[in-house]
Amino acid sequence: MAEDKPGQAGDFSRVIVALQGMISAQLRHPQSAAGTLAVAFFLLLALFGPQLAPYPKANDQRHDPRVPPTLDIGAFQLGEHPFGTDRLGRDVYSRVILGAGSIFRIAGLGTLISVLAGSALGLFMGYQGGWVDEVLGRVIDALLAIPALLLALVLVGIIRNLQFEAGSWQAALADNVILLVISLLYIPIVARVARSTTLDIKTREFVEAAEIRGESKFYIIFREILPSVAPSLVVEASLRFSYAIFLVASLGFLGFGARPPSPDWGLMVNENRGGFYQLTPWALEFPALAIAILVIAVNLMSDGIRRAVQKGA
Amino acid sequence: MAITTRSLLDVERLTISYEVNKRWIPAVRDFHLRLRPGQIVGLVGESGSGKSTIALALMRYLSGNGRVESGGLLRFAGEDLLRKSDAEMRRLWAKRVKFVPQNAGAALNPSIKIGPQVAEALKAADAIDGDAAYDTMMRVFHDVRLADPERVAERYPHELSGGMQQRVTIAMALISNPELLIMDEPTTGLDVTTEAAILDLVRGLIAERGTGVIYISHNLGVIAQLCERVVVLYAGEIMEEAPVLDLFQAPRHPYTLGLISSVPKPGQSKRAAPLQSIAGNPPALTRLPGGCVFAERCAWAIDICRDKRPPLEQLADKRAVRCHRWEELSQPHPPTPSPRHQMPAIEIAGRGTTKPIRRPAPDAKSATEQAKSPSIAMGGDLEGGWQADETLLRADNLNKAFPVPRSLRELLARTAPSPIRAVDGVDLHLRAGRTLGLVGESGSGKTTLARLIIGLEERSGGKLELLGMDVRNHVRDRSQDVLSKIQMVFQNPQNSLNPYLSVRQAIRRPLIKLRRFSPAEADAEALALLARVNLRPEYADRYPDELSGGEKQRVAIARAFASDPDLIICDEPVSALDVSVQSAVLNLLAALQDEHGSAYLFISHNLSVVGYLADTIAVMYLGQLVEVGEARELFQAPYHPYSEALVSAIPVADPRHSTARILLSDDLPSAQNLPSGCRFHTRCPRKIGEICEREEPPWRPGDRGHLIRCHIPLEELTSLQSGSNPLEKAD
Repeated sequence: MAEDKPGQAGDFSRVIVALQGMISAQLRHPQSAAGTLAVAFFLLLALFGPQLAPYPKANDQRHDPRVPPTLDIGAFQLGEHPFGTDRLGRDVYSRVILGAGSIFRIAGLGTLISVLAGSALGLFMGYQGGWVDEVLGRVIDALLAIPALLLALVLVGIIRNLQFEAGSWQAALADNVILLVISLLYIPIVARVARSTTLDIKTREFVEAAEIRGESKFYIIFREILPSVAPSLVVEASLRFSYAIFLVASLGFLGFGARPPSPDWGLMVNENRGGFYQLTPWALEFPALAIAILVIAVNLMSDGIRRAVQKGA
Repeated sequence: MAITTRSLLDVERLTISYEVNKRWIPAVRDFHLRLRPGQIVGLVGESGSGKSTIALALMRYLSGNGRVESGGLLRFAGEDLLRKSDAEMRRLWAKRVKFVPQNAGAALNPSIKIGPQVAEALKAADAIDGDAAYDTMMRVFHDVRLADPERVAERYPHELSGGMQQRVTIAMALISNPELLIMDEPTTGLDVTTEAAILDLVRGLIAERGTGVIYISHNLGVIAQLCERVVVLYAGEIMEEAPVLDLFQAPRHPYTLGLISSVPKPGQSKRAAPLQSIAGNPPALTRLPGGCVFAERCAWAIDICRDKRPPLEQLADKRAVRCHRWEELSQPHPPTPSPRHQMPAIEIAGRGTTKPIRRPAPDAKSATEQAKSPSIAMGGDLEGGWQADETLLRADNLNKAFPVPRSLRELLARTAPSPIRAVDGVDLHLRAGRTLGLVGESGSGKTTLARLIIGLEERSGGKLELLGMDVRNHVRDRSQDVLSKIQMVFQNPQNSLNPYLSVRQAIRRPLIKLRRFSPAEADAEALALLARVNLRPEYADRYPDELSGGEKQRVAIARAFASDPDLIICDEPVSALDVSVQSAVLNLLAALQDEHGSAYLFISHNLSVVGYLADTIAVMYLGQLVEVGEARELFQAPYHPYSEALVSAIPVADPRHSTARILLSDDLPSAQNLPSGCRFHTRCPRKIGEICEREEPPWRPGDRGHLIRCHIPLEELTSLQSGSNPLEKAD
């Protein structure tokens, strides 16, 4: 393949041009532009959280507990504890900022893994066809029949209860169990999208032209078919990302996600509900608001991406 | 003849614009038309010329982003259509103005049976319902010659063939006795045989009813056969308007002249002369030139043509032309076209003039080979017949049966449905450097045969030999050597190039893959190939969406030639292209064949195109060959009765030409349930009796290797068919 370097640069530059078109189309639509900007804002928080948070340690309990929010939007002032402190004396503002990092890491990485693996699987199934497609297709159908959250809870429950030798790869896996679960849940969904688009593309005559010059399956799948499937995969990826964020938050809330004292938004909502809500409502409201805004923003963004891709297609 | 003076439709200064990206683009400018009752006016033009836009505007049915600019006049039976409200227009559409679309399959509602669907049209028009409506419907079904109208009414649209669906839409339009009928390419997707039948039908019905018809087509042959007057459109403007006879005999506009001479006539061959073609592409509507819209492609363009837009001049004999130089050009000795536009020079690299045509002559060696090689078990001696040279590809008893999945009932009864026998025992012989044309209606199995040979479809039986080597079944099992020797040019240029690969990448790949070129060599060779298909080097870095249909097809041809193949399979390579581009691609294929000595298997439903390019022709019907012979033999008696029908159905672009058409019924028998005996007996107009139903006909050898599979002896066929030869009549 090394001999064909210029070619590789070519077809992917073509994909990049398509992506640029998508971004500019985004900006023309005010709602999706707002969504994209909000996602970009949260991404900044995720990347530079430790630098931006006034108290960058996750479990910094040195403040007075139960201080109400000092944020004054009218006066445009943040104050000492903009979102107040929780019952343990932790700055909620800092914890919300720090929480962006973990949610982006898990949801983003999970989406990336499931899109990469899912599209490879779907492309292969779609191109190969026959009994391979039939068998894998049934397995995927079976997986999709189980409600996602239920499957996630069962998997997390099982894996968390297994005992592994410290430092072994199994233990490392168990530490990233949420990531694993997201990938496992979303691979079949992405695979199905990739497969159906592949079924359409593979009947095009340029694929037959590649077959009659004896190209390998690998070449046909990744060089001839993938570029045409890529736009629908981008749409699916953005959709998966928004679901992943929601799933991470849900698992955290149900106590199956990140463990205390990590600044996970779902976990923060869980820790401050019930009787504690009367005491420090702000410790629940701000992380809940963060979840809501991020999920809506990602949805608006993926809407815009879908619109741009469909227009281009 | 009082009605002849009354005009049904008056259109003046009609300009139609579409809004694209917040800009109004004038798609049609300054359109004029006058239509009398009972008159058929043809609108002819290539894709993008604005034909369909005009049709929609005349019906006031433009899409939301289209509008008719003010200042125009659109008067139907004395009423101003531009001032009508939507409700008034709907009443007109229901009864007085009707439209027949191109794609009848998509125009009929798939979930309503034909009967109720047509009855609905009647209810909307005349508020007739119940038995009276049924009787009217049956009468119209009878008028449009739908076989078995009662049963047709009980069926859903998908249960009818394309030709029958189109008859239904015509019935639906005629049922309210409309005054104006607009037909937008109603026969474009249909086979020639069906097309001929529909044209006859339209001609007859109009004569009877006095309906005014606007008939839109890109096919000059259809226009010549059907219309009384013709309007030639180009890039949204009228180029010329004339009575049909005048237009075809003495075209005044260079564009019309180019169009007419770029269509191959039946029986015209590449050996006589290359086709004329019009260089270049139509201008983009967003960037119209300041002068004549056709100047850029016109061989006679001078300075004034590029600077000043010519007016539509009314000529004496009820004609109009939009050209600065029409008077000079209609002189007995017209000015010579500019050398840049003299087609043979650029389009086909000196073909047919200086270079001797490289076609291996039969020599002593091949003669002895002929003597030695066994005759094929086809009844006749194919071998001796196709007196030619080296055998390139040889197919023996090639078969393809597509299995049909069992239905539940069959599963329970433990019976298997009979498979679809798409190709059923075909013997073929391809000679090096020659072209074999394969013709037949859709469903005859020609494409499946091509796919068996290239290996995209696995054959169910039979043998395939390339240069004496056995060829494996599927393309994946074939050696690189075999792969590089057989290549293919596909039908749809839209899909045959990967949109994400540049032209350079598309052509380089087979060079690297099949000819083991280094990247540098491949780059150089890719440019050389581009030059051979008459594309400038800068095209190398373009992507398919930046190319026109004809340019895409040139790239696809360059890609097919990249591996230096001995055989190129061309599956309808020009059927998706505009007429003016078509001829350039045909010329290119002929020129490249001379240069490379490659053989072609050329598949087309267009007999004139096949006749132009092919040396030998094979006619296919329901998976079998029924006639094989030299190209010119196909256009003269004796023919197989099926070929006779095909040839007689060709719409010839000459209004003086008229043939007694041999009309076939629309229904091709199912390949799942093939007729016994001669497969053609169910539709054959020359059926002699029971023998046709019982026995498979023998191959009857004629002159020069001509073979016909029929029960009627050739001498008898000749005497039956002489006098009905369409070519003799044309001259």
